[in-house]
Amino acid sequence: MLRFVISLIIGLAVGAIIGLYLGWVQFPVQFVNSPASSLSERAKNDYMVMVAAGFLEDGDLGSAVDRLRLLGVPNIPAYIQQVTESYISNSQDVNDISYLVALAEAVGRLTPIMQPYRRVSVPGS
Amino acid sequence: MGSYDPSGNLRPERGSKYRRPRRPVSWLALFLGLIAGIGGGLYFAWERDPRVEFDTEPWQLTEADRAEYIVAITLNYSYDGDLARAVNRLIALKLEGDPIQEVAEVACKLATTGYVDSSSGLRAIRSMMLFYQLQGRTGCADTLIPVSDQGTSVVNIDLPTPTPAPPASKTPTPEGTARPTPTPPRIVPPTTQPQTDFALPVIRTDCVAELPGLIEVFVQDFNGEGIAGQAVRVRWDEGESTFFTGLKPERGPSYADFQMEAGKGYTIDMPGRSDPSEQPLVASPCTTAGGGQSITLYRVYFRQAG
Repeated sequence: MLRFVISLIIGLAVGAIIGLYLGWVQFPVQFVNSPASSLSERAKNDYMVMVAAGFLEDGDLGSAVDRLRLLGVPNIPAYIQQVTESYISNSQDVNDISYLVALAEAVGRLTPIMQPYRRVSVPGS
Repeated sequence: MGSYDPSGNLRPERGSKYRRPRRPVSWLALFLGLIAGIGGGLYFAWERDPRVEFDTEPWQLTEADRAEYIVAITLNYSYDGDLARAVNRLIALKLEGDPIQEVAEVACKLATTGYVDSSSGLRAIRSMMLFYQLQGRTGCADTLIPVSDQGTSVVNIDLPTPTPAPPASKTPTPEGTARPTPTPPRIVPPTTQPQTDFALPVIRTDCVAELPGLIEVFVQDFNGEGIAGQAVRVRWDEGESTFFTGLKPERGPSYADFQMEAGKGYTIDMPGRSDPSEQPLVASPCTTAGGGQSITLYRVYFRQAG
């Protein structure tokens, strides 16, 4: 009987470890119907680039800020500044940077590091 | 005839379990424990304490947020016209079926809701319509939303100013003099945007220790084939430089390059054949993948407009 109980306990322990590994690592819960606020940082940044390009297309700052509310960040101008500076620091796509800089400038968050990326008129034209 | 042991008991038969050595574990109990353990572990990991939700990908969004994400994709497309990037973003949403047709379906749904009550919502749906219509798709939004609320081109017509006839006088005026001359109508045709051979350049950045501050230019036809002998112009505050593709045959016919000075900003175009880049190429410091310092490398692609 003791042999049975000990074997059962060993089996339970090993099984529990395997189960937790499968449940947490190998096949973790796949969430669907998630809010945009839980998006990965990369996806949030990409979304902000798209919204910034949309702002350049229509010039509607209110709509751009409304769209960014979806991300659930408490301070949208500060978040725009943070993402823009992060893009510049990490040498991301220069077009994306220029979109973000335009949006940052529109919300009054233009910082010295962004100055070179402001949209400029062509010299001589 | 069975044999007896020294105690006088009958020996168990050769195949009897009493003749086999006793195993240290009970395989049955171990198996049952394993099954129960895995079941319990999975229950705990999936139900009681699932991993905290973070790093959600766009495809996991709610239907409403996914629609907003699609709107952002098409708004971005309306601005930069980068179809490949827009499609890649749509693919990341793991939409069922044709992702472009799915944009039409989402636009249709939004067009039937209060989303269109605001001008920004209307613009957003129009950007979606533009996107899928250019790819040959249709949706119910086509019939619900007019393509554009902008009026047609205005044609100014200067009408002739009527000249009043002179008052009658007692002395008859000989005929054939002082007749009002009608001014012919002048029609001002609407102006058209200047056409260019090449689309706005696509600019990518990189950070390479061996190539600090270099602008690499690639000029391609609409099939992506390199074109040699194309003039490319770089301008900066104090001057400009024009150079040609194909002068470094080892890099292919489409290639040309220009060395920037650190800290300066440049614009690039193909004189008379493309509009200039909308933002300056800045020779700013960057960090290479290996952690070293360099100056940003730009790769500029001019593609012939179809």
